[in-house]
Amino acid sequence: MPVVELNLSRLQKLVGKNTDKKQILDNLPFLGLDIESLGRNVVRVEYSPNRPDYSTDFGIALGLQGILGISKGMPRLKIRTKGNYEIKVDSSTSKIRPFVTGIIARNGSLDDEAVKQIINMQEDLHFGLGRKRKKSSIGIHDLDNISFPLKYTTTSRDHRFVPLNSTKESSISEILHDSEVGRDYGSILGQSSKVPIITDAKGQTISFPPIINASLTTVTTKTKNILVEVTGIDKQSAEDMLSVVVAILQGAGFQFSQLKVSGSRNSTPNFATRTVTFDSGPVNKILGLNISNSVLASCLKKSRLDAVVKSKKIQCTIPRYRFDIFGGMDIVEEVALGYGIDNLKPAWPASVHIGEKNPTSEKLDSTSRLMTGFGFMETLNSTLTSEQTLYEMTNRDSSQIISVASSKSQEHTILRDSILPGLLENLSKNIHETYPQKFFESGIVFSKGSPIKETTNLACVTASEETNFSEMKAILQSLLRIGFSIKCETKALSNHALFSQGRVAEIIINRKTVGYIGELDSKVLENFRIRTKVVGFEIKLSGLIFD
Amino acid sequence: MSHVLHDIEKQIVKELQRGADPYDEPGPDDSTTRLYEEDLSKETKLSMDQIRRGVEWLRQKKLVDVSDSTDNSYSLGKNGLDALKNGLPERRLVNLVKDCPKTFDEIRSSLHGLDFNAAIAHAKKNGWINIEKTDTGSKISLQQEPTQNSDERLISSIGDSSQKIAPQESLKSLMERPDFIIEHEEKRKLVSLTETGKHIDLEKLDSDAIDVEADVPHVHAARIHPLNDTINEIRDTFVHLGFTEITGNLSQSSFWNFDALFTPQDHPARELQDTFYLKSLNAKQLATPTQIKNVSNAHKKGWRYYWDVQEAKKMVLRTHTTCVTIKHLADKKPDEARIFSLGRVFRNEKVSYKHLVEFNQVEGVVVGKHITLRDLMGIQKEFYRKIGLTKVKFWPTFFPYTEPSLQSMVYNEKLGKWIELFGMGIFRPEVTKPLGITKPVLAWGGGIERIAMLKFGLDDVREFYNNNLSWLRTATKCQ
Repeated sequence: MPVVELNLSRLQKLVGKNTDKKQILDNLPFLGLDIESLGRNVVRVEYSPNRPDYSTDFGIALGLQGILGISKGMPRLKIRTKGNYEIKVDSSTSKIRPFVTGIIARNGSLDDEAVKQIINMQEDLHFGLGRKRKKSSIGIHDLDNISFPLKYTTTSRDHRFVPLNSTKESSISEILHDSEVGRDYGSILGQSSKVPIITDAKGQTISFPPIINASLTTVTTKTKNILVEVTGIDKQSAEDMLSVVVAILQGAGFQFSQLKVSGSRNSTPNFATRTVTFDSGPVNKILGLNISNSVLASCLKKSRLDAVVKSKKIQCTIPRYRFDIFGGMDIVEEVALGYGIDNLKPAWPASVHIGEKNPTSEKLDSTSRLMTGFGFMETLNSTLTSEQTLYEMTNRDSSQIISVASSKSQEHTILRDSILPGLLENLSKNIHETYPQKFFESGIVFSKGSPIKETTNLACVTASEETNFSEMKAILQSLLRIGFSIKCETKALSNHALFSQGRVAEIIINRKTVGYIGELDSKVLENFRIRTKVVGFEIKLSGLIFD
Repeated sequence: MSHVLHDIEKQIVKELQRGADPYDEPGPDDSTTRLYEEDLSKETKLSMDQIRRGVEWLRQKKLVDVSDSTDNSYSLGKNGLDALKNGLPERRLVNLVKDCPKTFDEIRSSLHGLDFNAAIAHAKKNGWINIEKTDTGSKISLQQEPTQNSDERLISSIGDSSQKIAPQESLKSLMERPDFIIEHEEKRKLVSLTETGKHIDLEKLDSDAIDVEADVPHVHAARIHPLNDTINEIRDTFVHLGFTEITGNLSQSSFWNFDALFTPQDHPARELQDTFYLKSLNAKQLATPTQIKNVSNAHKKGWRYYWDVQEAKKMVLRTHTTCVTIKHLADKKPDEARIFSLGRVFRNEKVSYKHLVEFNQVEGVVVGKHITLRDLMGIQKEFYRKIGLTKVKFWPTFFPYTEPSLQSMVYNEKLGKWIELFGMGIFRPEVTKPLGITKPVLAWGGGIERIAMLKFGLDDVREFYNNNLSWLRTATKCQ
């Protein structure tokens, strides 16, 4: 989950009405914000990826005002349509990044902390909703250095301008090759010879989306008026993103003017709200509550939505930036949050059910009970293991190996096809402990087969100077006889990578080979640095004691 | 208080009461007999190991006092052994000049590499020789026929063994000479009876009684792995709460692991860096054609992108047990059910004290026309009560395929803080509807290692998979 760092006294001021810090800290979790760490005046909270408006203290303040009852209902959004702010879209963008949208925000002020919060929001939106800038990305500019109308068009890779945080001109190719953002996001543009660009009426470059802004429009703490542009490959996602930015900037005290968007497939964003009408019945039913329509409407308002009761139904209005609300169940959640999760009391369902363990679990339980009864300690190993343990140290055939892609851990790269190598590793790690040592493990092993087969095996080992083949065969026989009334035979096997020649046998049940038993080969033991004698067996339980 | 003594203890007490003190050293009071453990072993014919155990038992019963003593003993070094055989260098010097005075050179060549200067110095100090200056150089002559002196007596008394020796001048001076005497330091335990011990009448002790209060050694049981012990407890608790267990494969198609749960194909959770994909393995049979069509439509409508069936075929190691649950519900479409699924799940993470690539998860679902969110909170509270966690509260949270979503917080007395445990929520209609599931599905569950860590007081989750025998033998449940 993403994290945002909040300054507590600033948040207090934003929430208003003399709220104290304790009230704020107590209520953050009931907005779904987990406190990750708490300093004297700083709190770091985790927020849900579906609530990018909580990526700033402006958005969180809105939410707190709601559940604390300081300010309820949907924040009204006013956008002036007058003014000559326009961006014209050239059709050449349609092949590479077809959509642009934006807004003019004026008469605000951004101190250091506000800039920090807005950068956090931008990063969140780029990562989540923007799918690492691929789907959509934002540029925020100082309005006062820009002449309208703007043009969203394409240019060649030798086009030059001064990028953000730089004082000298670079070409697009240089930016893509030499800067960190260029290398991180350049692949979004593929091999296309033309790249998207936003220029102003004077022909100055102001942005090279989705990579970097121009230095010309750098936002500082002196900035009062800004232009926000969002470009992308999906119109709705670009407008979703813009609506979050607008909601946040409104919280920061900005006033808005429309940015007209014209050109193929593009249009001026309208931040239309949605209205849904529903009965309180199903909402009460699923939550297990019985609250009146008016209380229900008030819960929604505490969640910063608008709600009125009209002819026994609830009419709920959802602001544009709450695109996380898909349907009815999302409304149910908003009611629950407004009602207060702490006020939902646990109940006990009336219906009666009889529970049952899975037969496989039952059988594995009795196997484990018998094995511990025989004096074997249970160990647990990963099914995702390494080539070294599974094949190299055991000299086993690795032609049927099943690997995972791009594992972050060297010790976990392939799926095990046998349990015994893991038990040898367990013995190897315990050579300083007292002997005899007896281990067993039951679990899933994998093999190839349309496309992959999973079976449950049981393996066990005894390590001691005095142990021998017959001791192990006695365990195997007794386990199968006592536990499952199965008779087994052992048939000499000429060789097996794990075991010593002349001291290994196949385990045969109903004329089928189900496993191997024997004395472990001394070279294998040497690889695991084990200095005592080891005997063991591995047997397939699937198809034997369960399906 | 009457005492029950083990046979070993009786023999030790008997020996100490016999009152022999071979070294005749005065103890704190003269009537106390003190013996070294080695002597006790020699006298009683018990092994040192038995003596040590017996003395420790008696000490705990306050019948004996044990004091540590450092003992010095001495043996002859290379030069000492030579002196034992051939006499001290000064004695050999005197023997040379007994009949007539000799020059330095004559003596030096006869003493074969012995320390000539030391020999002269000691012989002179003992008053055995005179040094005369003549025209042909200095000559050494006999002053008086020497008798055996204390240095020589000491050397012959040590002989070729190791001896305890009272401090004396000769010992000091011989130790200053190189390689004559070697000192050995030995730490030993000196055992004596306490006042109570002295008055024990061994004859009157009941000979058949055994000491039922004595300490005993630890024995190790073969046992179920602590993590599996917790897994079994959780499985049993689900069954007690009326849930029936379902199982499924660890390897799954992306369809059931992601697509069926409304996770869009470009979602970050589906990337290689979070999920283990099985190299070049694709599912042969995904689902029924209707299931595939409906899921595809739900994605197109909800997320507005081109849904690719090839992407859904890629095989992954399941990232949660929810894939098993959802497939069961999609195939069976029950109107009423309580089912649960438990087992290993996988995440492509860096292994650390709190993250594993492979861990266990449990997930239960309740399906029913009349089931409510409060009911699910109640079931969960009862679950925690059964496994010994009584302080529970709920917070809102986010899960991609449930709405509303809650997380439960459980208070841990030992750590003195609230800990996030299981999550819960109602499956989104975007998940259930395309699969033909019409009744509400309420789900709850989470990682099991976390609960096992609380139970076994661990703060590093890797310990469960280290299979360290000393830990497996001794791990104890703390709640």
